[in-house]
Amino acid sequence: MNTNKSLVVALYTFKEILKSKILLNVFFVGLGLMIVTYVATEFTYGVPERVAVDFGLGMLSLSSIAISLFLGVGLLSKEIESRTVYMIISRPIHRYSFIIGKILGLMGIQLVNLVVLSGMILSASYLLGGEVNSLLIWTVGFIFLESLLLLLVVSFVSLLANNVLTVLFSLVILLLGHSIKETQNSLFVQKNPLLNGLLEIYHFVLPAFYKLNLKDFVIYEKSLPLSYLGNSLIYGVVYSTALLFLIIAVFNRKNLD
Amino acid sequence: MIHFNKVTKVFKTDIFTPPFCALDGVDFTVPEGSMVGFLGANGAGKTTSLKIIMDFIRPSSGNVIFDKSLGSSKLEIFKNIGFLPERPYFYPNLTGEEFIHFMGKLSEVPSSQIKHEISVWAPKFKIDYALKRELKTYSKGMLQRVGFLATILHHPKLVILDEPISGLDPIGRKELKDVIVEIQREGKTIFFSSHIVPDVEEICDRVIFLKEGKLIYDGPVNTLLSTNIGQDFLFVLGDTELKDFSTPFKQKVKLPDNFSKYVVAAQDKDKFLNEAIQKNANIISIDSVRPSLEEIFYHTQVSK
Repeated sequence: MNTNKSLVVALYTFKEILKSKILLNVFFVGLGLMIVTYVATEFTYGVPERVAVDFGLGMLSLSSIAISLFLGVGLLSKEIESRTVYMIISRPIHRYSFIIGKILGLMGIQLVNLVVLSGMILSASYLLGGEVNSLLIWTVGFIFLESLLLLLVVSFVSLLANNVLTVLFSLVILLLGHSIKETQNSLFVQKNPLLNGLLEIYHFVLPAFYKLNLKDFVIYEKSLPLSYLGNSLIYGVVYSTALLFLIIAVFNRKNLD
Repeated sequence: MIHFNKVTKVFKTDIFTPPFCALDGVDFTVPEGSMVGFLGANGAGKTTSLKIIMDFIRPSSGNVIFDKSLGSSKLEIFKNIGFLPERPYFYPNLTGEEFIHFMGKLSEVPSSQIKHEISVWAPKFKIDYALKRELKTYSKGMLQRVGFLATILHHPKLVILDEPISGLDPIGRKELKDVIVEIQREGKTIFFSSHIVPDVEEICDRVIFLKEGKLIYDGPVNTLLSTNIGQDFLFVLGDTELKDFSTPFKQKVKLPDNFSKYVVAAQDKDKFLNEAIQKNANIISIDSVRPSLEEIFYHTQVSK
């Protein structure tokens, strides 16, 4: 019964966000994507389809991050501030069902964004003579997973900090998560055991977003070892699940005043 | 139906600010089938109490005991409660109808019944014409009505309302009060906080007073009024223009059409009455001076 309640919350969260003209945003990003792709391919010799895919995936990733960051920041905090949450959790529903429903609802929006934009990217790549390989599909899937992980990070921080700090902290965690491996590989860090140890702890505790980034491979590779993809997938799913449990634990104990 | 059992709530904001005690051992009951008004000035602890009842916040000590008829688990109990928060702000992009369906589904009401309830209640709340519109286009009064409809949609046994009639115009207040009385007559228990004391006096049979986080009174409205009846009597006399009374009286107020109002101490009542009869005064009414709930409320709040 409570699974149904999560789905009810998800459905109306999805409807609420969808009606807030977010699709218009997706449309403009899509239009921008087409224009940029066209212009870029006009200035490229030989590999226009790769340019189309590169630009396309970049914009898809950016728009997914923007949705997770800017819609995610108010997903729970706005409910608490505006007391909408009182109307919901005074009904026969567990707090965790409410959280799961809100996350699912916003991920539904992410899915719409992903389907529309990746459809455009794949069409552009195909029309320019490229091929749709499995790595491209994996990359799109991992962008979705990255946006879920970021949404969970944002939701967790929003339970502890105000909106401005939440966006800042989450952005820093995202950027560090993408650059942690490069940083650890740098000569400066290699020569400094203390710093390396600290980064190792950071690497262990905070999300390593770089593991979900396949965009660098998709231009020059047609496939990646299944073990690499599998490990990254497991990492993303396990980390997201753990973070979801943490959010539920904090929200369950939170005084909603 | 509810026993608010010796509840204390202390808020600790940060290490630099001393803890603030919002509720200090507050203990009251809301009997089944009653209409209970919850009164107190701003900051008295009314909303904090309601939040504790609804488990939005946890008490520092004490607990809330629900009647077994509401259920044994939290979900069962909440299935039988309808709660409307103060100044509700709903999802602005949903229509009124979508919002009501959302709330109904969370309360496990089948879609067909939700539609039926809407057809019954929306005209009574005079909101039926606007249900297809998005909530962001609603006025405050309209939002209150939609919220109210969503609160009673699932036929809860206990209805808890936080300031349900504040901010409404007189017509809106009257209509909402009528609905509150109607659902109480169906056997539901109503517990609502309000700043509008005359409304509480008009429709409630019990009242709970809070002051600075402490319970001042919990009991029937009539008992509170009768224990606060003064020792003075009020005489309303007609054609008293030329009549001088030798019996002492505390106050004389001239009313229109040559009527006068006299406030007389209890020990002088009989003497004053005899004199009025002897002087052939036109006695319109004699009554004990009865303070309103609002006057009692005011004196309770200002007295130390």
